[in-house]
Amino acid sequence: MKTLADLKKIREKAQEDMKLRGGNVRIKISVGMGTSGIAMGAREVMKTFLEEIAARNLSDVLVTQTGEKGLSSMEPVVDLIEEGKPKVTYGNMNPDKVKKVVVEHIVNGRIVSDYVVATGD
Amino acid sequence: MQDISLHLLDIIENSVRAEARNIKVRVINNVQKNRLRIIVEDDGVGMDSHTLEKAQDPFYTSKLQREKKVGLGIPLFKQNAEMVGGTFKMASEPGFGTVLTVDFTLDHIDRMPLGNLKDTLLNVIIGHSDVDYCVHLIYRDKAKEQCFYLDTKAIREELGDIPLTYPDVIEYIDQSLFEGIQNTNMEDV
Repeated sequence: MKTLADLKKIREKAQEDMKLRGGNVRIKISVGMGTSGIAMGAREVMKTFLEEIAARNLSDVLVTQTGEKGLSSMEPVVDLIEEGKPKVTYGNMNPDKVKKVVVEHIVNGRIVSDYVVATGD
Repeated sequence: MQDISLHLLDIIENSVRAEARNIKVRVINNVQKNRLRIIVEDDGVGMDSHTLEKAQDPFYTSKLQREKKVGLGIPLFKQNAEMVGGTFKMASEPGFGTVLTVDFTLDHIDRMPLGNLKDTLLNVIIGHSDVDYCVHLIYRDKAKEQCFYLDTKAIREELGDIPLTYPDVIEYIDQSLFEGIQNTNMEDV
């Protein structure tokens, strides 16, 4: 059973980690979670991001969810926001595409242009 | 939407959009009463009686900023409950929040399944990590009652300045929810 005591260990480890790299958020991922996004599989997309990020221990990546963005025909839609760079919007996402975006874009810094539906604001 | 957990995700998104800071989610599987009950309670901006009525109309949406003319989230959830002998109730008070109570007949052959409750809850807890959640899962039958409780405020207290979005914390919450769902028999409802 998971107990609150387990969190103490996590806290100690995380504090060490934060000391090393300063606790900055390098990339923010925002998954569109409006009604149409949910109906098209946005929950699985978000879940895959969370799994990949936990598995790779990417503690400088933040995953959030937002309402609809007005791109209903391209749902599930995901924004990648990196400081000092134009926003990249990926569309028609699924768990396999998410894995590719994590490896290519988030880890290696190469935009997966095949999945991009919009850039900038 | 294929299952109840996806509707739940949609409803919680509504609460967040209504600027809720605290969201209480209860799922009660009451075998004795043959009832599956979902309750979502938020402290968001709330609705007046006119808006409350409108919210159940598919051709109404609170999303003003776009050309969008339909809002299907609530009407579909309502329909999916009422179609199988269930009920859908919404109560709200401007400035105080909204409570939504949805009942499904547990053994109705056409009732949609509960679905992946864990992913819905994990998504909203991590995806809106500035909102606090109280999750309460209850299973009840003649012989026993099993409960699971998760309060993000308590987790935050233990974590201090470490955010809920830290990878190990995500795994912790995922695992806690997994165990809670198993202990309350909510996997294959």
